[in-house]
Amino acid sequence: MNAAPQTVGGWRRILGSLALAVLLEQLPWSGWALALRPDFVLVGVLFWALHQPARIGFGTAFFLGLLADFQDGAVFGQHAIAYAIGVYLVLFLRLRLLQFDPFRQAAQLFPILLTVQLAVLLVGWLAVNPPTGLVILLPILSSTLLWYLIAGFVRLWHGKGLRGQA
Amino acid sequence: MFARRLGPTARLLIWLLVGASCVVLDSRYRALEGVRSGFSLLLQPVREAMRAPAAVAAELGGFFTRHRLLQKERDTLLAERARLIAGVNAARDLARENAELRALMQLQARPGQQMVRAASLYQGHDWFSQRITLDLGAGAGLRSGLPVIDTIGLVGQVSRVFPGASEVTLVSNPDQLTPVFVERTGQRGLAAGSGHGQMELRYMPTQTDIRPGDRLLTSGIDRVYPAGIPVARVSRVSRSQSSPYLRVECLPLAGLDRSRAVLILIAEPRATQP
Repeated sequence: MNAAPQTVGGWRRILGSLALAVLLEQLPWSGWALALRPDFVLVGVLFWALHQPARIGFGTAFFLGLLADFQDGAVFGQHAIAYAIGVYLVLFLRLRLLQFDPFRQAAQLFPILLTVQLAVLLVGWLAVNPPTGLVILLPILSSTLLWYLIAGFVRLWHGKGLRGQA
Repeated sequence: MFARRLGPTARLLIWLLVGASCVVLDSRYRALEGVRSGFSLLLQPVREAMRAPAAVAAELGGFFTRHRLLQKERDTLLAERARLIAGVNAARDLARENAELRALMQLQARPGQQMVRAASLYQGHDWFSQRITLDLGAGAGLRSGLPVIDTIGLVGQVSRVFPGASEVTLVSNPDQLTPVFVERTGQRGLAAGSGHGQMELRYMPTQTDIRPGDRLLTSGIDRVYPAGIPVARVSRVSRSQSSPYLRVECLPLAGLDRSRAVLILIAEPRATQP
C-alpha cells in the first residue's frame, strides 16, 4: 500500500526525535505559550507508533507518560494511561491513517488527541477528586445487562434462538 | 505466528491495568516518591540547561530596551531609594525599641526566619495539580510545608522535596487551604484555590462585611505561614439563594504564573517548652 513509512528512520532517528521532544518540554514555558504548547512527546510517540509499530508501542508510550506525569506534578499513571490509549487508537486506525495525505492525517489525528486529553482529564479527576467513588460506573454494567435483555427479548419475540447469527 | 504476539486490545488492557495500579499506588499509598526522585535527578541538569535559551532571549530583549526608558526607571528608583532609606531608619529605630521592650518583658523573640531565594524552573501543565518546580531542594535545607512568597505576596507551599529540586503547590490549587483575614475588618476565614488560577474565600456568612477590593492577608494562626503576607484581593462578592454562605471570588496577588524568582521562608522548628 504505502511502503515509504517502513523505511522512515532507524533507532537513532526514533530515539533522537523522542529525546528532542522531551527536551522541548523542558523549556521554561509560561503563560500563553504554556497553554498553547503542543504535547511534543505525545505527537512523537504517536508518529513512531504509526510508522514503526514494531519498535515504538505501548511500553515506550507508558514510560514517556510517566515522565509527563512527573513533569506536571500529576498523579503517576495519569498521562501514562492516556498515552497508551492514544497508541491503541493509532494502531487501530493505522492502515487507514497511512493512506491519507498529511492534511487528512492531521484531521484524523484530531479526535485521537482529543480522546487522549479527555483520558488525562478523566484519570486525573478520578485520582485526585473521586466524585462518588466507582459507583458512577455501575450504570454502565446495568445498561449493558439491559441491552442484553432487550436484544434477547426482541430475538425471542421474532422466533429466533438466543444463539447464532441474526 | 498468532500465538507469539498479543493483539493490541489485550496489550492495551494490560497497560491500563499497570496504569491503574500506578495511580492507586501513587495517590493512595504515596509509594512512588522514589520514582519521582529518580526522574528529578535525571531531568534536573536538563532543565537547568534548557533555561539557557530563555535567558539568552531575555538578555537580547534587555539589550534593545530604550535608553530613555532606562533613564526614567533610574530616576524612579532613586526617588524610591530615598523614600526607603527614610523608612529603614524608622524601622531600625522601631526594632531597637522593640528589642528593648521585649527584653523588659522577658519575652522570647520570634524564632529566626531565614529567606532562601530560588528560581522557578518549570511550570506544570496539569489542571489538577497547580504546581511549579523550583531549582532548590533538600540540599538547601528545604522541607515540605515551608511557605513560598514572591515580592508581592504568597505563592504557595513546598509540597515535595527532591535532592536538587522541589515542588510548590500554588495557593490557587483547589486542595490548598490558606488561613487568611480580611485586612479592612479583621474577619478571619479560609481561602482555597478554585482552579483557573483564582481563589475563593469559603464559609463567609451572608451578613459578613466584605466587598470587592478588600485584601486578604495570612492570619498566621496555623503556624505555617507568618502573619500578614498578602494573599489575594477580593474580586467579586455574590450571594446565592441556596447557600447560607457568600460566594467570594478572589484573585491571588502573587504572580503565580509570572514570577521567575521566589523566596522560601525557612523558620527554625519551634522548640517545645517543657
